[in-house]
Amino acid sequence: MNSLKVDRIIKNYGDKTAVNGLSFDVSEGEIYGLLGANGAGKTTTMRMILGLILPDEGDIRYLGKAYGKEQLSMLGYLPEERGMYPKIKVSDQIIYLAQLRGMSRKDADRNLKRWLEKFQVPEYYNKKVEELSKGNQQKIQFIAAVIHNPKILILDEAFSGLDPVNVELLKSTVKELRDGGTSIVFSTHRMEHVEELCRNITIMHKSNPVLQGPIKDIKKKFPQERVVVASEGEISGLESIAGVHHVSRHEHGGYELKVSSPEAGQRILQHAMLQGLITRFEVMEPTLNEIFIKTVGENHD
Amino acid sequence: MINGLWTVLAFTVRNKIRSKAFVIMTVILAVLLVVVGNLPYLIDKLGGGDKATKVGYAEGQQPAIIQGLKDYYGQLPKPDVELVSVSGSEQQLKNALENGDVGGYLTFAEDPKMGFPKATYNAKSAFESGTATSLTGALQKVKTDMIIKDAGLTEDQKNQLYAQVSLDTQKVSFSNEQGKTEEEQGMAIALTYVMIILLFMAVMISGQLIATEITAEKSSRVMEIIVTSVSPLKQMWGKILGTFIVAMVQLIVLIGALVANLQLPHNSDSLDKFGIDLGVLDLTLVVYAVFFYLAGFFLYATLFAAVGSIVSRTEDLGQALLPITMLTLVGFYVAMFGLTHPDHILIKVCQYVPFFSPFLMFLRIGLAEPAWWEIALSIAILFASILGIGWLSAKIYRVGVLMYGKRPSAKEIVKAMKAYKV
Repeated sequence: MNSLKVDRIIKNYGDKTAVNGLSFDVSEGEIYGLLGANGAGKTTTMRMILGLILPDEGDIRYLGKAYGKEQLSMLGYLPEERGMYPKIKVSDQIIYLAQLRGMSRKDADRNLKRWLEKFQVPEYYNKKVEELSKGNQQKIQFIAAVIHNPKILILDEAFSGLDPVNVELLKSTVKELRDGGTSIVFSTHRMEHVEELCRNITIMHKSNPVLQGPIKDIKKKFPQERVVVASEGEISGLESIAGVHHVSRHEHGGYELKVSSPEAGQRILQHAMLQGLITRFEVMEPTLNEIFIKTVGENHD
Repeated sequence: MINGLWTVLAFTVRNKIRSKAFVIMTVILAVLLVVVGNLPYLIDKLGGGDKATKVGYAEGQQPAIIQGLKDYYGQLPKPDVELVSVSGSEQQLKNALENGDVGGYLTFAEDPKMGFPKATYNAKSAFESGTATSLTGALQKVKTDMIIKDAGLTEDQKNQLYAQVSLDTQKVSFSNEQGKTEEEQGMAIALTYVMIILLFMAVMISGQLIATEITAEKSSRVMEIIVTSVSPLKQMWGKILGTFIVAMVQLIVLIGALVANLQLPHNSDSLDKFGIDLGVLDLTLVVYAVFFYLAGFFLYATLFAAVGSIVSRTEDLGQALLPITMLTLVGFYVAMFGLTHPDHILIKVCQYVPFFSPFLMFLRIGLAEPAWWEIALSIAILFASILGIGWLSAKIYRVGVLMYGKRPSAKEIVKAMKAYKV
């Protein structure tokens, strides 16, 4: 049984459609990527999952059940726009938010201490949020989203504004949660995070789901169009090979070529080998970034 | 899930009562009230009512009148004017005034038409009405004395002539067995006045507090997490009730400070003099006061909450609250007018308008004698309005907390309500 099942939901705001027939499933211990340009309908989708607004049509099931009061306590939410009470102590507000999710004061307190310990910031327990740096506020916000051990967690741009060290820290935490069986809906504009974390994704464009499925399958649908080649010396005449559109030289040696078909790669390799020792050659599979831009950007007005 | 409501309420109360601003404000107000509580005593002591003002006169001028005045003030148990003779011209009198030897001086000019000289009281300030009033009364008596001296009236007749006409005002009550006595009436006015001011302050301060907090939660985006944890309705009521409890705590501290001070022995004497006796407080009036206070508070609090929820930035809040602020102000000033005209047609109409009735119906009950159906109708309208406005506010709140950006128009809110199916 899937933890979260979204079934053909439609949401209209007046005569504007915000989400048009979106369906997806998230199983236990899976991170699901929800991608889309700004205004594609991601926030509306997440709000519907959170039960803030009802879909006009379609159905959302949580562990097989319809939305109800008891579902609230199994949902965790990290909103895109971070917010905490600036003038209230970390412990007070985290415990408050945990209590609102139906936790007892004692359990919330214990969990909070455990999380602060895990993030190596136990001294923040008695600090006011406004005294913390932005990155640390974000850690606190993350704790607020997961303090009550939610079964379903919605992360909207979880890693934005963090330094690389903290991104790694939170990323590994998210993976731990996943391994612990939490189902996570993950929305971000950072495609490398999606590639690293998500099994299945949906790319939304102008309210419609335009691309859905496992990342592996999606990538197969897109032709391999990028070749990287590097040798010890310069390689000349790459532009004139049949099937090569575009050549760009990298700063630290090597060339990146855009090709029309994977076969062109072989011709490039042969051409390059004639000119010297090849140190690197790769026919790259398309990155999610390229796929995203291709899907969403092409008919962008 | 009464839990959610309770959690919000406890959180609101705890944070408010702990905040420095709240503690400082309560202390300052309490100190202010202690001063006010001691005011009757202070007025009594500092008013200088015991000391007679020295009034100078030129020696030898109008001896008959001066003698009459001296006789008059001599009879009084506590004369407030003492006549002092100053030898010399008006210049000397002026000098005496400048030196502070006298508080003022009298000069006379012949007025043949009246048969009595025209008197002038010269003082440093033309507003020293106390002494002037006293002198007017005294001169009137002297004049009357002089004129009737030869009329051959007996002593009895004279006394009858001078006796004050007696006129007491008694409020006729149609519902009770007996009408209200003057003390009760005075107490009712005082209570009404205090209650109107308290209600006005409670509405303004707590209302602003509720609205500001909701907007702050929105602008700091905590709202997004909160509305996904607890239903907006519970959150709104938790906030309103929490603020209400805080306001009550503050009110009890303040009233406690005031009453405790008024009970002090030196103050109770002064209160007696002003005709205020806390013992004659009409209990039904107190019950009405509490009732209308609660009704007024909740009526306005839900409105403030609704407005707070549609504004995303604290800077925009003042402007958005303006209509409600105006409404309370109008209610307040109409009530102030009603204190002296409780039966005016304006008051009789406005007592049914829910935004004014907490002020006005209470005022009418305290100061006039409204028919039972007037009270019932007013309360019924008020109750219906609280329910209606509470319901509407909850709906606005429900969509308002999720709307960011510029302040939405009424049309946009209605559209959002339809879209969100609330």
